[in-house]
Amino acid sequence: MKLGLKNIAKSFEVVKALQDVSLEFHEGEVHAICGENGAGKSTLMNILTGNIQPDAGSILLDNQIVTIHNNQQARSLGINIVYQERSLTDGLSVAENIFPLPPTKSFGRINFVQLHQQTKALLQQLEIKEFSPATMVATLSPAQKTLVEIAKALATNPAILLLDEPTASLTDKETTILFSVIRTLKQRGVTVLYISHRMAEIKLIADRVSVLKDGKYQDTLSTNNCTTEDIIRLMVGRDLQQVDVATHSTEEVVLSVKNLCGKGFSDISFDLKKGEIFGLGGLVGAGRTELAMAIFGAIPADGGTILKNGHRIHNNHPKQGIANGIAYLPEERKTLGVFLQKSIAENIVSAQLYGKGYNVKANNQKAGEYAKTLNIRSSSVQQLMSKLSGGNQQKVVLAKWLNTQPDVLIVDEPTHGIDIGAKLEIYKILKQLTADGKSILLISSEMEELLLLSDRISVMREGKIKGILNKKETSENEIIKLAAQ
Amino acid sequence: MIHSIKAFLFYLFFIAVLVACEAPPRTDGANKNLESTEFITTDSVSPDEEYVMITTAINMPMYVNHDQEAFKKWAKKMGVKASILGPSEWDIPAQIATFEQVIPQKPAGFLVNGTDPGIAQVINKAVDAGIPTVVYDSDIPGARQHSFIGSDWYEMGRLQGERMVKILKGKGKVVVMGILGMTNMEAGFQGFLDVIKKYPAMEFIGKYDDKANVELAAKITADLIVAHPDLAGVAGFDGNSGPGIALSVKEANKIGKIKITTVDAEPEHLQLVKEGVIDYLVGQKRELFTQMGAQMLFDMRHKTIAFSKNDAKAGVVPIPKKIITGSIEIDKSNVDLFIK
Amino acid sequence: MIKDRIVTLSATILLLCIVMSFLFPGQFPTVGNFSQIMLNLSIDTIVAVGMMLLMIAGVFDLSVGSIVAFSGGLAGYLMYYHDVNFLVAIAAALSGSLLIGFINGFLITKIGINPMIQTLAMMGVVRGLALMLSGAGIQNFPYEYNYIGQVKILSLQSPIWYMFAIVLIFSYLFKNIAFFRRYYFIGSNEKAAHLSGIEVEKMKLWGFVIVGLLAGIAGILLSSRLGAALSTSGKGLELRVITAVILGGASLAGGQGKIVGAFLGAAFMGIVGNILILSRVSGYWQEIILGIILILAVGIDQLIQKKVA
Repeated sequence: MKLGLKNIAKSFEVVKALQDVSLEFHEGEVHAICGENGAGKSTLMNILTGNIQPDAGSILLDNQIVTIHNNQQARSLGINIVYQERSLTDGLSVAENIFPLPPTKSFGRINFVQLHQQTKALLQQLEIKEFSPATMVATLSPAQKTLVEIAKALATNPAILLLDEPTASLTDKETTILFSVIRTLKQRGVTVLYISHRMAEIKLIADRVSVLKDGKYQDTLSTNNCTTEDIIRLMVGRDLQQVDVATHSTEEVVLSVKNLCGKGFSDISFDLKKGEIFGLGGLVGAGRTELAMAIFGAIPADGGTILKNGHRIHNNHPKQGIANGIAYLPEERKTLGVFLQKSIAENIVSAQLYGKGYNVKANNQKAGEYAKTLNIRSSSVQQLMSKLSGGNQQKVVLAKWLNTQPDVLIVDEPTHGIDIGAKLEIYKILKQLTADGKSILLISSEMEELLLLSDRISVMREGKIKGILNKKETSENEIIKLAAQ
Repeated sequence: MIHSIKAFLFYLFFIAVLVACEAPPRTDGANKNLESTEFITTDSVSPDEEYVMITTAINMPMYVNHDQEAFKKWAKKMGVKASILGPSEWDIPAQIATFEQVIPQKPAGFLVNGTDPGIAQVINKAVDAGIPTVVYDSDIPGARQHSFIGSDWYEMGRLQGERMVKILKGKGKVVVMGILGMTNMEAGFQGFLDVIKKYPAMEFIGKYDDKANVELAAKITADLIVAHPDLAGVAGFDGNSGPGIALSVKEANKIGKIKITTVDAEPEHLQLVKEGVIDYLVGQKRELFTQMGAQMLFDMRHKTIAFSKNDAKAGVVPIPKKIITGSIEIDKSNVDLFIK
Repeated sequence: MIKDRIVTLSATILLLCIVMSFLFPGQFPTVGNFSQIMLNLSIDTIVAVGMMLLMIAGVFDLSVGSIVAFSGGLAGYLMYYHDVNFLVAIAAALSGSLLIGFINGFLITKIGINPMIQTLAMMGVVRGLALMLSGAGIQNFPYEYNYIGQVKILSLQSPIWYMFAIVLIFSYLFKNIAFFRRYYFIGSNEKAAHLSGIEVEKMKLWGFVIVGLLAGIAGILLSSRLGAALSTSGKGLELRVITAVILGGASLAGGQGKIVGAFLGAAFMGIVGNILILSRVSGYWQEIILGIILILAVGIDQLIQKKVA
């Protein structure tokens, strides 16, 4: 089916989310949509799935004007979406999640035999062998859940499939599976709209890429004839600025971890030096987050010691971690990092609710300063966190931790789900911090990021450090070899 | 300097608060001379004249069918307004809250269901506001109401006890059931016990709390039948005791073997007497409580009988201090006359 | 959004008062009637302040009504049956209430019992204790005890002043003290609060203790004001208070609400109750109407939110 958008416009109060956007998607193509956060991608998705109505313009399906009032209608027209946020029910099996309206026998009894057969066929088609139709969703990893989510969308046999950051939590192997699934769909004539921040993926999977900036359509490029830089230039409207990669690492050891053991990791030893960015690479589930939380005090360590500036510290609660000059920026921003219904200013002071009074005026002032130095884009520091883009939210979380004046900042996937513009800004901030004498423990699954920022990189696998590499001597391949083996 | 001004202002404020304090009367309670309170009278009858009934559990069928029915009928006959207020559940603080909010509106009279001794204070408040106030059903010790009209629960217990002894021919195991801790029920239990004590062959097993709940009364009775296979008689003291006891006795096939005496004469009680499950009922003359109670309020307000030139000023309450309405006794011989 | 609720609720109350003043000119807008309304809502409000605290933190307590009865019952029992000095009796009652709150909080945070189940169970246990202590009700308290709830200051009875004091103090605390401010973060995102260094469980435990104490104070005031400890005291109070708090801007999901909202919610319910009594409407209508108002308030909120989103 051919999908077209003509002169679509949508405003939220004064913000023009989309202005005069026209796009054409061919049948059976993989069409990437790029843009920084706030460029209008989500609005576009929401219009296509009927969640919101455009102020002007029309949607064309096979050259027929259609109006989409809600999700069900979108689905019946053959448009389905896989959202970034998960919509699965943990307490039910994979099969029941994929088919919310299962085949029934008399008196509405669920026909489990048929249901499992259907699901099995679908999973086979997707080449998923890691779990079966009867597996409980609660037992799946985040990556596996994403696959279930995609299977669920495919179960309705859509002619047009929207994928919103589908690889955000997938490992490389799973990404490969996903891409082969996308290619199969393409052969069957399904149009795939692919939203992603990962340039490499777009080049790999998409046929064409359309770029939005500030709600306006920029251009559509054929991925065969363009470079990543071309796309980024359209998105940010400027050339990729090279991040300052000079090292600020000194020889002074700030944090020394010795034989640390805990749930998900064991026998971890390393030194973190003043001004250093120490990268922690590895696959999802290698135990990096657990290690970080144990150092911070969010989960208990079973054994081993942590020395800070030569003194032994015991972090049994984040409160102590903060007091000992350690900050932790968590991986899952939405569930662990932010208070969505609280303001920017409140979020920034949220790690300092001990010891003193709560002075709204002083807090707002401090938040204002951070908003300026970290370039947090918002109408005011009173704005609710939920109204900010992912990148700006992450900057607020960063501000919150900087405000605790830490010596050691642990950042766990700091640019996860953030657009390229904000990503570069965060890189710059992190580098600047090391120049100011802070030490950073960087957990990242993005090789580029690790190689760009880190002074040294350690690789974790199955809860153990498999090797510590000097940046100058290492390559992407070597890291992957250690991580996967 | 500023500090001392602040301190001065603080002390000033403190003293002002102390001066503004108005302590509650120390002599509250029964000690206060009853006749000292004036009450409001008038010379003409107006259709806007409002008599307010304050009760709790306002939807309880016994209250609706007897108390409220008779009260409304009376108001219609007299050409005055009758209002019935109170919470829908058995909630004494809510009854008090309702009462307190109506007092400032100065209705012509209050007819108060004497549900709990805790309402004494608010009754006094109404009396102090000069509003004729009659308590019905159960007397409230410590309150200064103008009149009480209701049953003598000791007498109701005594009547049950005597009938029980008579039908059991002076020997057998008996129990009583009702809401434990309620003043009127406890008086009823006492009346019953005082009779039983005189007969050495009568064995008293105990008092049981059925919380005015049919199912609970049935459950307790069933347990008792198991524990005491030779149980001879059960006496009930709240409106739901009788139906509950009867249910379990029927289910255990013990009709006639276990004698039942209880209070109230609702249609289901009467039906059970007719069936021979319940042997004896002591009914209250509830319609009299509210009809006569309301009439007393009316007479007090309109000076129907005057003992002086101005009774309100002279401190004479021109209505009876206490009326005991007596009981209705029902058994198989006269039950047909009560079934409508 | 919360600010809006404070404004809309205040405006609704004001409008209601104006309309009623025209409908019942001689009865509604009188000092006597208003001080009566406030006296009646004072107990609810004091408990509602505590409930607001818990609901900001994303939990609630169903045992508050029973604690109200227990507190008055224990004080009455000690004074009446054991001739205990009234101050000692009050101290004992408040400690008892505090202890109940502590047990609730301890079992919920340390053992991990669901708050609804824990406080539901505690509601029954404490109601039973209250019945055991006060039986059919205790009267004839010492004069000093009755003085506490019956003294009038500037012709307003003392529970009203206690209510205002508690609302003001807690409003101040929730605005200016970091300790209380933490509850917003806990209710907004518990996990993020933990990672921000907030001792979530300890804070919740304290929350239940504070609520127990406030319910205990309410129980003392109620029994002293009535001059009697009734076994039916505080019956259904928990749901009434939760209704008031939700009307006042709290959300079951947590993180939302202001202390003054608890007062406004209770005030609104008190005024509606008063209007129904003035209109001579029977008791059960009050429950029906309050139920409808709650659905309307929350429903309209949802509609507005949908429109904004």
